[in-house]
Amino acid sequence: MNVSSTKIDPVFFSFALDYMQRFFPVSPEQAEFMMELAEMRHFDKRTVIISEGEQEDYLSMVVSGLVRKYIRRGKSEITLQLATEGHIVHSEISFLRRIPSPVFVETIEPTTMVSFNYSNYEITLEKMPGADRIGRLLLMAMFVKKDERHYKQLHMSTRERFLEYLKNHPHMLQRVPQKYLASYLNIKPETFSRLKHLVKLK
Amino acid sequence: MISGFLDYMGRYIVLTEAEKAALSELLEVRRYDKKARLTDTGEVEQYLNYVVKGLIRKYFFRGKEQVIKHIAKEGSLLASSVSYFSRVPSSYIVETIEPSIVVSISRDNLEKLFESGDRWERAGRLMMADFLIEKEYWLLDTIRYSPRERFLRFIKEQPDLVQRVPQKYLASYLHIKPETFSRLKHLVESKNNILSQA
Repeated sequence: MNVSSTKIDPVFFSFALDYMQRFFPVSPEQAEFMMELAEMRHFDKRTVIISEGEQEDYLSMVVSGLVRKYIRRGKSEITLQLATEGHIVHSEISFLRRIPSPVFVETIEPTTMVSFNYSNYEITLEKMPGADRIGRLLLMAMFVKKDERHYKQLHMSTRERFLEYLKNHPHMLQRVPQKYLASYLNIKPETFSRLKHLVKLK
Repeated sequence: MISGFLDYMGRYIVLTEAEKAALSELLEVRRYDKKARLTDTGEVEQYLNYVVKGLIRKYFFRGKEQVIKHIAKEGSLLASSVSYFSRVPSSYIVETIEPSIVVSISRDNLEKLFESGDRWERAGRLMMADFLIEKEYWLLDTIRYSPRERFLRFIKEQPDLVQRVPQKYLASYLHIKPETFSRLKHLVESKNNILSQA
């Protein structure tokens, strides 16, 4: 068994809470409400959390580890997101629209997530005071991040994308297999190798 | 003029007359000539716009090339959205293609509206979920469909825009090379001719 789900450890939940508070304030009452409904999920490395065609039932935040979201095109996999500590990662379309997932979500490293299943997500929205506001601000933050990434993809040159990403995420070169990083940055593997060499020489 | 925007919000919650009146108070009607700029790069986007009439595009310059990110026609929303929501300088230019009329709500008024009650907060959450999903679909579609498929889907979904929007803008918006776009367009036109003659 490479996945296990348990009642949440308060220390772990407080990590997740700290990350959430970067985007919006959470009152102690709200924190307690959410902690009751959250689950802690553990995955081995290289575990598929959700496949294309499956229903996504969780809204998840990575508390430790590294997760990749990708879409399959023919035989190749296009990496859409590399999520580390504090990042939300799940199949948004499938979770929110209740339709089969168009994407895969898979761990790269052993990963622990704080997750809300869909029915607890609905209970939170229905019962927790201020939940819609938190939901709105969370979705807004996710939207802004997606849009900014898309802008960078369109606006920056290959070389600029490479240098900017490594400047802001210096550890990822070690943590993420090169082909995934190249795909994420929309850089051809050959070009990626050449750029990497350039950085090492410096 | 503002009923379209009220209907738009009515997708998320069924608005009472009092809610419609409260929202109406916060809206502004703005009119522009063709090729007029609503927002420039470096400015903080002040408005979320609902297009009542006309055609508006959102784009940026990559060197001398204009990269079209969005084209909005009647019944749709448009803003330099990251700038609007995060209150940072806009990376995009928002500019009319045709003379346009928009119904706009300022960032402050939108926040005021959502904070004015639980039902509005709910509408706000559902609206943001729609924005997020729409963006995700757009990103996925540029990856999973070939230029030809993107072109065919577009002309099926928005045939009117093929007539209204300059071809170079459409090609940029769909991430299709201008040459390829022309070829695809000819292909479709000749097929239509054959069909109409039959």
